[in-house]
Amino acid sequence: MAVSARERGLTGFSELGIGRAAAFAGMLLLAVAIQSTLLAQATVLGVIPQLVLVLVVSLAFLDGERVGTVVGFFGGLLIDALLPGAVMGLTALIFTLIGYGVGLLRYMTPSDSVWTPVLTVAGASAVAELGYAALAIILGQRWVSLDETIKIAGLVVLYNTLLTPFVFPLIRRVADRFRPERVIRL
Amino acid sequence: MYRKPGRGRVLLLVFLALSIIVITIDYREGSGGILRTAKEWSVAVVAPIQRGFTTVVRPVGNFFASIGELSDLRDENERLKDENEELASENSQADEVLQENERMSDLLELEEAWPAMDKVHAQVYAKDAGNYGEGVYIDKGREDGIRPNMPVLAPEGLVGKTLSVTAHESLVVLLVDTNFGANARVKDERDTGLVRGRGSADPLTMILIGKNSDVEVGDEVTTSGLDEIYPPAIAIGEVIRAEVQGGQASKTIDVEPYVDIAKLDKVMVLIRDGRAVGEAAGED
Repeated sequence: MAVSARERGLTGFSELGIGRAAAFAGMLLLAVAIQSTLLAQATVLGVIPQLVLVLVVSLAFLDGERVGTVVGFFGGLLIDALLPGAVMGLTALIFTLIGYGVGLLRYMTPSDSVWTPVLTVAGASAVAELGYAALAIILGQRWVSLDETIKIAGLVVLYNTLLTPFVFPLIRRVADRFRPERVIRL
Repeated sequence: MYRKPGRGRVLLLVFLALSIIVITIDYREGSGGILRTAKEWSVAVVAPIQRGFTTVVRPVGNFFASIGELSDLRDENERLKDENEELASENSQADEVLQENERMSDLLELEEAWPAMDKVHAQVYAKDAGNYGEGVYIDKGREDGIRPNMPVLAPEGLVGKTLSVTAHESLVVLLVDTNFGANARVKDERDTGLVRGRGSADPLTMILIGKNSDVEVGDEVTTSGLDEIYPPAIAIGEVIRAEVQGGQASKTIDVEPYVDIAKLDKVMVLIRDGRAVGEAAGED
């Protein structure tokens, strides 16, 4: 019988390990750089896909709610730090919740279906975009119109969903490579 | 599968609490203190990767663009040569006028005219990664004399102002950002007011200080020089709507910016001295 580190219920940080944390940090930096350069040039009706969110959802889907929570927080914080005029911590809050939620959701979904991660990204993108807009308005931030918010949310859902079949396999390859499968033979 | 969901929940609560603490600090400190440092570090860490991507992608994009425009290039070249000669002669005249202007400004202790100010030319290498904030990154920073809250211009007019500045990079908030605001005046009219951004999909909006106004469609809007950031007479845009809406005493004014933010490439930062530029990057 083999029991992985994940199944032994380790906490988020000890579950990460230095090599794995570095791999996730590297992926986050790469994702935000691609999002702000390549994808910022390849917009759909002026809307940039949220690759960092796709990464957070994918890792949460692959490695569970603890990894999803940690990666979601730091991914969101990085986005906040790089946006002009954004409330620092707002995206971190949303992505943390999404990382946790998707991590839990994976136990209830058929993991072998190719559609599951795609649909998960679509749902998570809608929640993230509308949740961010709602929180920003509640916190009294100046905001674009409702029509514009719905347009942006719809296009982000569409674009993120289209990216997932190409990006998810790459993320899975890296996640599999750095997963601490310290196998204990019993 | 055996799991202990409780530990995930504790971790969630810890990171939610951290997020709320960060939000609270942001509201208390504005853009100063520890969060400013965190933002500057983030810009500096991501910058080399962004610049790498831009360096690789730009020549490819330019190559395809050039193929499409090849037939127009020869005509363009001839026209530019002619223009260049004209501009060279105009430039020498402008230099004289500029020097005269500087002398007069010194005598009258007026605010420095922006064409006479020191400028740092910079290249845009990335855009902000979000769909709500409107910003770009430029490849010049603190070591080039740039500080937060310095005006950024393109040949067409005002682009925005610097926000987070690292040693070699700066984040520029664009004039279409919802948090952007600048004191402005309508050229050839006495009306002054505040120009605000409404996101990249919408024109700027101008709120006039006086209620009765002769502002009309087609009027040019420039900076007024009444705030501490932007010197006067920088072109902002053109009035595309000026009408009184039901129940309101003043006109609703929409301004289309001259700068095409989707095509920003080279910009210049006006170097203002410490007297005029507040270090705190608060609201305009």
